[in-house]
Amino acid sequence: MATTIATISLASSDLTSSALAFSSTNPLNTAGTATGLSLTSGLSRTTTEYGSSSIIESTTLYRSDDAATNGANKVYLKNLSTTPAEYYTVFIDQEEMGRLYAGDWAFFPWSATAGTKETFIMTVGGTWVAGETLEFDGVLTTAANTTVADIAAQVDAQHFPNWTTTISGAAVTFTARHSMDAGTVVTATADMVIVQAGGSDATAVVSSAAMGAATSSDIMIIPSVHTSMTFEHMLFHQ
Amino acid sequence: MATTTASLTLTSTDLFDDSLSISNTSTLHKAGTTIGLDQTTGLTKTYVTATQQFDPFPVVKGATNADENGRVYIANLSEEITEYIIVSIGDLVVGRLYAGDFLWMPWSPKLQHVNDIEITPSVATGMWIEFMAIHNFANIYPNSADS
Repeated sequence: MATTIATISLASSDLTSSALAFSSTNPLNTAGTATGLSLTSGLSRTTTEYGSSSIIESTTLYRSDDAATNGANKVYLKNLSTTPAEYYTVFIDQEEMGRLYAGDWAFFPWSATAGTKETFIMTVGGTWVAGETLEFDGVLTTAANTTVADIAAQVDAQHFPNWTTTISGAAVTFTARHSMDAGTVVTATADMVIVQAGGSDATAVVSSAAMGAATSSDIMIIPSVHTSMTFEHMLFHQ
Repeated sequence: MATTTASLTLTSTDLFDDSLSISNTSTLHKAGTTIGLDQTTGLTKTYVTATQQFDPFPVVKGATNADENGRVYIANLSEEITEYIIVSIGDLVVGRLYAGDFLWMPWSPKLQHVNDIEITPSVATGMWIEFMAIHNFANIYPNSADS
């Protein structure tokens, strides 16, 4: 358990006829407990810059998959620009929260509403010949022998850029690393590219494919200008 | 023109192997200027006894100021660690503020009801909540009817 203390102070001598001066201090704890948040993204800096004729894209700072849904997660943001007119617009999913102008900071809770990750089962079958290959997600697996369970184990041992895997016999269950709504298209047997030796009938059949659903609270920012701007951010989460 | 400053410190000696010490102070300006924000709802402290969602900063927004900008402070003053408030913008949940938690965030209100900030207490047994907006929007009425 870590102890992290957040303190906010607001002060003004002339916003109202009486001076404004108050502060609040609180430890960052996990939801409903007195146990400190112990996970963090670390303090990060992100620079945005676009060609003068290009479209300014949004940058996703944190995906909802990065933190526990309805946890006592906290997000810290700061616009490091020193030009008063430059700002970042902060969005949660499609909802605009507001603008952070030069030097502005924000500190707010984040429910990190999770989506659903696409899954499917790929079952190694048929008759394989050692040296035949199976390619998926840019990863090539070369059969070391003719045993389908061994080949499935080889696939399971790979590191796929967009998927994680578990195995049961000759069946490998793939789970997407990120929640995403891929429309009506799910991974199919045709996405498994097998290069067979002559006379082989090696198969890798996809079944039980289930579409994912997009998260609904990713945190995104959009800069106001094409020129270079830098943003500082940190996620405390459970 | 008013001068209002907002400061945040985040410190920890054991979150990392090395200490964490973040300290920021910003002055609240109208958009794109160095002119201070000059309106506020005032610091409101309220005792809520229902789990019904309510709107701390009702928006009846028509005119748009060219340099409009706003900041919002909300704090859950409860001392019961399981009690929280849900803070939303429009239909989207931002997050939960548990006992003692606070937030400070930018706010760009649109038309009435479009992206109002809403608060939903987790219990009906009574919770103290504090909130304040500092801004230069036209037509933010702390006591107006809204939903």
